[in-house]
Amino acid sequence: MATEDARYRETSQYRLWSFSPSKLAAMRETTNAAARASISERLLANPPPPSAAAAISAPTSSANTPDPENGGNSTPNPNALPEFLTPADELHLVSFYTSELLRAATEVFNFPDHIKTTAAIFFKRFYVTNSIMTYPPTEMMIVALFFGCKAEGMFMDVREFVQRFGKKNNEEILAGEFLLCQGLRFSLDVKHPFRALRGAIMKLASFDDIDRKRLDDAEQRAREILRFAPIMTDAYFHYTPSQIMMAALSLADRGLAERLIQDTFHFVAPPETGSGADTPDPNAPVPAAPSAAKQKPGEDKAAIIGSHLRDKVLGAIEACRDILSKELPERRDHWTNKSFIKTQISPLRKKLTKCRDPDRWNLVELQRARREQAIKKGGSEDGDPEDRGLADGAVFGEPLGQPLKKRKVEVKKEEDPFGGAL
Amino acid sequence: MSRKPAAGTLRASAALPGSAVGGTSSSSALPTLSSDDMCPVCKTIRYLNKDMEFLINPECYHSMCVACVNRLFNEGPNQCPYAGCHKTLRRKGFRSAFFGDLSVEREVDLRRRVALVFNQVEDDFETLEAYNDYLQQVEDLTFDLVNGSESKRREVEATLQQYEAEHKADIERNRKAGREADEQSRRRLAAERDAARQRRLDAMREAEEEKLERVRNREAEIDSLAKGQPIGTQFKRRGQANRALEAAVNATATATAGLSGSLADVGKLSIRGLKEKKKAPAPEGPYDPFGGMDFATSRFKFVPGTLSHPSIERYKTDPQHIQHITGGYGFEEYTARALFEAFAGLGVFIEDEKEVGIGLSAAEVASMSAGIAAVGDRMDLD
Repeated sequence: MATEDARYRETSQYRLWSFSPSKLAAMRETTNAAARASISERLLANPPPPSAAAAISAPTSSANTPDPENGGNSTPNPNALPEFLTPADELHLVSFYTSELLRAATEVFNFPDHIKTTAAIFFKRFYVTNSIMTYPPTEMMIVALFFGCKAEGMFMDVREFVQRFGKKNNEEILAGEFLLCQGLRFSLDVKHPFRALRGAIMKLASFDDIDRKRLDDAEQRAREILRFAPIMTDAYFHYTPSQIMMAALSLADRGLAERLIQDTFHFVAPPETGSGADTPDPNAPVPAAPSAAKQKPGEDKAAIIGSHLRDKVLGAIEACRDILSKELPERRDHWTNKSFIKTQISPLRKKLTKCRDPDRWNLVELQRARREQAIKKGGSEDGDPEDRGLADGAVFGEPLGQPLKKRKVEVKKEEDPFGGAL
Repeated sequence: MSRKPAAGTLRASAALPGSAVGGTSSSSALPTLSSDDMCPVCKTIRYLNKDMEFLINPECYHSMCVACVNRLFNEGPNQCPYAGCHKTLRRKGFRSAFFGDLSVEREVDLRRRVALVFNQVEDDFETLEAYNDYLQQVEDLTFDLVNGSESKRREVEATLQQYEAEHKADIERNRKAGREADEQSRRRLAAERDAARQRRLDAMREAEEEKLERVRNREAEIDSLAKGQPIGTQFKRRGQANRALEAAVNATATATAGLSGSLADVGKLSIRGLKEKKKAPAPEGPYDPFGGMDFATSRFKFVPGTLSHPSIERYKTDPQHIQHITGGYGFEEYTARALFEAFAGLGVFIEDEKEVGIGLSAAEVASMSAGIAAVGDRMDLD
């Protein structure tokens, strides 16, 4: 196994946030189902929200509701549940808000690439395990952007930050921060393909026969693609940054990407120690690296840079390229297109306002409620463990464990350690 | 008159090994020495021989006076003079009993013998429960040996011998360990005693010197008073007192150092003993913060100074950008990192690895299982 791959496997991006497409789809479905269950439970338990009550009391107002089926449903039965978003609807909305986030980061702040991307990936990751019906996407978007800045080492004043958005209150951001962290499973390091692209271009530049102009054009185009395509698609979940980079490079200039891959996986069968020497400067004394590589037996080398692996890598890059080509930078206009928003996003948003979680929608209220709860319980538990267990554990298939354990201890405390009275 | 005394009159035990006298069935019928002022063999009474001493032989625990032992067994092994006891005794086996009650003496002997064979210690067992079970087992054996019937005793003896033969090495090791532990505790005690003695001596010497000093000072004081210079002596005296105090402190310090040194020595020894018994943990290498991760690159070679990029060159030369350069992060580091990121994870196929495991491909596994299924079908058909 190549040492580079071993090092990548150590990252939280690989360990916690890489999934096969089927697993990711299953997780989104689970999230959606869990949100449906908990929201319908809450809607039934609590009295209907005032606006709905008004709609019921005054039948004339129901005519004003734009969604005919919902209005028709709610009039006869006050306990009827709204129509929930499907997983596909959710994904569509998340993509839309991601594009909004990117737009805000560019137009309002003009952040560097890695901050924008980190924030967007945070946002996307958060809504893998949390439904968009549970937590408000517009607020979480701003939280993700603010927190992305922090995670990338750029510390903005939160007051200044909200001012740029034309808001006065920064409570919402602060209330959402920890929530976001929980949703991210506290893995705050996102590996990006931008620096990798630079590396690849530098490596290509060391081959004498490639035109500088061609390289610059390819780099520019690939960077443009990387700024948009992998973020809008699920590429970050399914592919490693280097594969994404190679795919983007291949979209920009297929020849260059293939040349680099061919050069990297150049090893051809029978091992002769000298045969692997078409790297730029084989005679230069390099500390540690080449000596370690030379000591490896031939078969091992074939597994690292052999042609078999090359074909597999090319296959992965090709697949990633297909995904990226769905969201080329030219589609940026598509997401901000007014008619598109009107026809596709607005109905979903309307649907969302009806089926959102009554307890969770207001982040500030939610945080206050949780704090009070924690104080009431003597600070032994923060937040409500069942819901957190549901939100995270149910989707990942492993509950968080900690709240359960704590509860067990409490039960034990109540019992007399020496048994009942004689 | 027969030389052999009647067993009944002497309350000889029926439970004694080898004693074939039936009828006297009381459980602890061994003769008690304290009340015995008469040798049961030669009938000599203490009145005639003040220094009369009784000996027993652990073969049968029949007691007799020294004179009888010498008389009967000087010429080699002979039969026990007690009626009905057919044990062959030797001169060498005789000793004086430690306990007045010979049944106790016998039980202690037996226990000693059993303990020699079953000499495991608690550390040899994984759990306390196992150790307790073992103790129970040993106690059962011992009880059978002490109080059991003839056949039972023989059985137990056989078990004991078998166990001894089988576990010779273990027993020997434990015995050695026990001896070592004894030796160590003895040595430690001796060291402590020595240290205490040394301290006592030092303290005495100290007191002696102090006394001497005081006398000397007093004389000096008187002398100086006689000469009419009281202040200097005051100083001198104080200085001397200080010096004495200092010396005392030094002495105690060295004493404690010596003591702790000897204690540490002993402690080290005992630790070594422990390690011999338990398995020493495998030696750990130096601490590796990266958990043995290999940082040598295997997919590419990075040669410092060979790679560059226009934007890097800009930082190197352009006076407007050069101010961003800080210490500790060179261009080579950036290039190395960029190159590493370009190739890291290129061979990581998330779909395959997350579904079926590292190093396998989902398609391969599917075809493999399909093949297995096909073979299974064919076998079913066969």
